[in-house]
Amino acid sequence: MSLSRIWKVLRKDLALGPRSSIFLWAIVLPFALTLILQVAFGSLFDPKPRLGIVDDGDSSITAAIGDMDGIEFTLLDDAGEMKAQVEANDLDAGLILPQGFDEAVRNGDRPALQFFVGGESYASNRIILTVTAIDLIREIEGSEAPVTVDVVSFGEAGLPMSRRLIPVIVFYALAMAGLFVPGSNLVEEKEQGTLMSLLVTPVKASEVLIAKWLLGVVLSVVLASASLALNGAFGANWAQVLVVILVAGALSSVLGILAGVYAKDSSIMFAIVKGSGIFLFAPTLFYIFPEWPQWIAKIFPLYWIIEPIWQVSVMGEGLGTVWVELVVALGITAALGAAAWWLAKRMQAQMAGQ
Amino acid sequence: MSRPTSRPAIIRALLKKELTAYSRDLVFLGLTLVVLIAAPFLFHALPDSVDESITLGVYPAIPEMIGDAREALAEMGATEEQLAELDDIDLAAGEEGLELIEFESEERLRGVIEGSLELWRTESGEMVYRDKEAGDKKPEDAERVEPDIGVAFPSDFIAGVAAGKDDLTVTVYSQAGIGEEIQTAMKSFVREAAYQIAGRELPVGMPDEDTIVLGDDRMGDQVTMQERMRPLLLFMVLLMETFSMASLVSTEVLQRTVTAVLVTPAKVGDFLAAKTIFGTLMSLSQALIILVFIGGVTSANWSLILAVLVMGAIMFTGIALFVGAAGKDFMGQLFYAMLFTIPLLIPAISVMFPGSAAPWVKALPSYPIIKVLVETTAYGGTWGDAWGSLAYAALWLVVLYFAGLFALKRKVETL
Repeated sequence: MSLSRIWKVLRKDLALGPRSSIFLWAIVLPFALTLILQVAFGSLFDPKPRLGIVDDGDSSITAAIGDMDGIEFTLLDDAGEMKAQVEANDLDAGLILPQGFDEAVRNGDRPALQFFVGGESYASNRIILTVTAIDLIREIEGSEAPVTVDVVSFGEAGLPMSRRLIPVIVFYALAMAGLFVPGSNLVEEKEQGTLMSLLVTPVKASEVLIAKWLLGVVLSVVLASASLALNGAFGANWAQVLVVILVAGALSSVLGILAGVYAKDSSIMFAIVKGSGIFLFAPTLFYIFPEWPQWIAKIFPLYWIIEPIWQVSVMGEGLGTVWVELVVALGITAALGAAAWWLAKRMQAQMAGQ
Repeated sequence: MSRPTSRPAIIRALLKKELTAYSRDLVFLGLTLVVLIAAPFLFHALPDSVDESITLGVYPAIPEMIGDAREALAEMGATEEQLAELDDIDLAAGEEGLELIEFESEERLRGVIEGSLELWRTESGEMVYRDKEAGDKKPEDAERVEPDIGVAFPSDFIAGVAAGKDDLTVTVYSQAGIGEEIQTAMKSFVREAAYQIAGRELPVGMPDEDTIVLGDDRMGDQVTMQERMRPLLLFMVLLMETFSMASLVSTEVLQRTVTAVLVTPAKVGDFLAAKTIFGTLMSLSQALIILVFIGGVTSANWSLILAVLVMGAIMFTGIALFVGAAGKDFMGQLFYAMLFTIPLLIPAISVMFPGSAAPWVKALPSYPIIKVLVETTAYGGTWGDAWGSLAYAALWLVVLYFAGLFALKRKVETL
């Protein structure tokens, strides 16, 4: 085996790769997914009551609502616009605070409360927004509540959905860059006959496969790192994060090589990736739904690379906590590598026969 | 000498050829079958109702609290009239969306919120506590009740507030994961209950409930996740067919079988007509199959749903023709198909979120189709409500379909 030949094949793939549509998809996908999942779906899973306020008199209610974490607050200039947004369900409720409202409350004038709720707002959101607004008005009134309320919290606050979606984004970076790119690259070489041409040179099939595998490792490490950085999870322990990503890249790329060696053409490669997609994707669902029995995730091969990434990059743990997972991942990589090697020998024999 | 073949006969023959080619494309045939099977399963796995309530655990039970208050106030010399007012006290009165669960002791309330105890409601409505660590078995024919938050009132809460006691403390028990807005609202709720019991009227005039609800009041009849997903599932089918149709077209172009077709009496127009009819019929028939399984069609809306699905099918066929003509190989065609179809999926995803879509989403070609589907299936929309969206969809349909037709025609003519 020649390292220089492996490097030459790898250099060729890196140089020609950007011309491939799959290569471009692999690069674009982590950015697109971050945007879609974090901006859009984050708010789908963690909806907050939405309140619009039209404040004509610098009321203290506006400032108090703005400081609350649990309420999505919008300040509007026009009452008509606010009502339109409430009716269209862009807001759950709207509050109009005319000039002198706070003063009138303090003076005991009992001004009419101009509070509107949307027909499509949930009953729970109506209660939350109504009682919160009334409580703030009571505060303006200045009267002391007849009762003290203590809050006792149990456990730790769960991670926000934006954090729990990180494994999904990293999975796609690994699957596209580690699995699909080297696999389809190999299949394209088979389809276009360039693999056959390569193999009549001194380059061996094993060297081609290692070069393709390295292509997947390099690309998946770069894109998984970029995905984590985009989601604020490439933290202070970056060296340890890199180690777990490297192991993840090695495993996902060996899967890509295995699929690429096995698939006769692009459509079969696509079918393999699509068909095995849910099996590979499954472990990421257990981070979105932590109440599911977590042991089930361990059945799926990519759990052993997703879990170390989760623990080290998202939870900030050290490599010591995930060494078992890393060893299992490396074991799976070695076993799949051996299978790919065996298939490659068969492929070379078949090509020689042609 | 043979008789000239009629155009319909040629197109019929080409359609037969398309069907054969389609059935041989095992990758897309398989994926189409997967979508056809998975979509109804996914639909029925989604929640068919909306839980809009906050489940509030309370100790002591409200009647018990009122009973204690009655005794205490009677001892303090309250009149019969004042005691009768106690009957009107209901902490959750008028609060639709607040489900009260009454607990026997504060320890149990605390245990259930903390998670060390489970609470189950049997079919007869009896509440059963289960201590998992103590080895208690799961009660049969019972459903788990999980309060979002719990409130423990002191036993003399009502009497104490009414008497103006100043050392009353109410404890709100909450899981740390419960939203801050719910914790804040419960604190406010308890304080407001105390204000009301103390007879301190609101410092503002409350509007009438009918005047403050804007739009149709859908409380208790909210659009469910199933209803929101219906257009997305229908779109997934149309999308899958775009991939499949584009694959058929690109294969024909790349393998140049189209040139073989054109040496027969078939003309380019026949070829394009057959592709259009086949693509439209395939996607439409699959969308209709899915619709049978996921429902949403009524005697009032079937014609509108059919019309809008036909428009969607033609639109996606146009895109498939364009993609098929542009793709240089399987992967390239896949890339183009994704490039065109993913943006068209955005409106279907946006309907899962409350509120109106962003202006740029409304400008997308698929938005009017999704809008009509949602309004028709979830809000009882009619032809009268939909004509504007249909006109906008028709405009996009013409643009996309003819762009696809033109691209493929040019490609075929240059082969």
